[in-house]
Amino acid sequence: MLETLEELLPEILKATGETLLMMGICLSAALVLGGALGLLVFLTSRGQALERYRAFNLLANGVINVVRSFPFIILLVAISPFTRVVAGTSIGPLAASVPLSIAAIFYFARLIEQTLRDVPRGVIEAAEAMGASPLQIVRHVLLVEARSGLVLAVTVLAVSFLSYSAVAGVVGGGGIGDLAIRYGYYRFQTDVMLITIVLLVVLVQSIQFLGQWLARRVDKR
Amino acid sequence: MPRTSSPTPVSVPAIELRGVSRRFTDPGGQNVGVQPTSLAVPAGEIHGIIGFSGAGKSTLLRLVNLLERPDAGEVIVHGQDLTRLSAPALRQARHRIGMIFQHFNLLHNLTVAENVALPMRLSGEPAARIRERVAACLDFVGLSAKADVHPGRLSGGQKQRVAIARALAPEPHVLLADEPTSALDPRTTLDLLGVLADANRRFGVTILLVSHEMEVIRRLGHRVSVMEAGQIVEQLDIADGRIPEGSRLGGWLAEFGGAAGGASSAPDEPAPHHLAQESANA
Repeated sequence: MLETLEELLPEILKATGETLLMMGICLSAALVLGGALGLLVFLTSRGQALERYRAFNLLANGVINVVRSFPFIILLVAISPFTRVVAGTSIGPLAASVPLSIAAIFYFARLIEQTLRDVPRGVIEAAEAMGASPLQIVRHVLLVEARSGLVLAVTVLAVSFLSYSAVAGVVGGGGIGDLAIRYGYYRFQTDVMLITIVLLVVLVQSIQFLGQWLARRVDKR
Repeated sequence: MPRTSSPTPVSVPAIELRGVSRRFTDPGGQNVGVQPTSLAVPAGEIHGIIGFSGAGKSTLLRLVNLLERPDAGEVIVHGQDLTRLSAPALRQARHRIGMIFQHFNLLHNLTVAENVALPMRLSGEPAARIRERVAACLDFVGLSAKADVHPGRLSGGQKQRVAIARALAPEPHVLLADEPTSALDPRTTLDLLGVLADANRRFGVTILLVSHEMEVIRRLGHRVSVMEAGQIVEQLDIADGRIPEGSRLGGWLAEFGGAAGGASSAPDEPAPHHLAQESANA
């Protein structure tokens, strides 16, 4: 097994790099776009500051549900023409990042919306009574009071999409999961399978540990 | 002792509701709206609103800073009809209307000092002025030592003191208090009423106070409005702490207040009468 490890080290390093690249792109997209979308869906829900934009809320909810209905591998294939336009190609880790980002954006939007619901209505109301604008409520109340939940939401997102990125191997996206499938599964190389799984377990544990540690640190409730 | 002196009469009311109404059903399907109702509270007065659950008293209070928008009528606070204001102008007006709540509604991830600073940060006050007001208000409620603590470590009474400091920080004309002592024990309630009476005396802030606890209203209020089915059915002067016999409120006290003598004599023991609760048991 040690020999296999040595032999495959360049492959493993390359795969790890690809995984990190895909994760970096899709998590960034999710944080910025998915975060904003989730926030808007929350703010336009009943009883919140922007509830008059109910039409947006219904539409966005519908779109989020539709995108999240797609099994990821089908989404990956279905949007490949779009991927080609955005990434210039439909194979490789950059191309795989496009469907990953789409899925992550809508996944994260739902996570954020649900996390923000945990902020007590009374606290938001107190801010309204103080004369806070909707933007100030977001900045000074929602992001403050929900921050540990938001950190945990990012943690869940990262772990889920580490797993999703394995599917990217289908379009030559590479990554650790793809390595496991190509060597471990298709070639029956159990040792490679073990190595990659250990690597994934370590990654997931690290993300989870870091996320929970940070969430605890920022939680003063 | 939170017995307060009579308000100085002023011609322009601090709060004036003119024919406001609001149809509203609570999650339990109970109609807690407000029928067309008028109310004028002179500047410097502590005005109590009492009634059973569902009488619409909280809704009436929330109409004053437009947390509830009236279906009809005018809401005039310090000469300004809030219902006619644009959203930014309303926010501006709200900066001078403080509010405290039954469940305090503090931000738990902010320290006590940060909580008190929040309304002033929202209105863009300079940092030096915020520091000064935070120190002054925390001193006023007796919590200077807790400035850097998070609210999670405070008792209920202390949390409500922080909420009062937060409401007073921007020097409001008007303070709205929605069942401010209903989550607190009788002794803490008495302490807090002292703080509110003090704020009224020292800063001249007009207080509109909703409570279902007779003792709270009687100890603190100069006048009281009795609400039933979304309307003010009676208004009494209680500045001397006496509830006139023969009034509807006096009748309630006789019926639900345990010792009927409570209607005219102030007991030393702080024993708020839970009207709503006792009516449920009756």
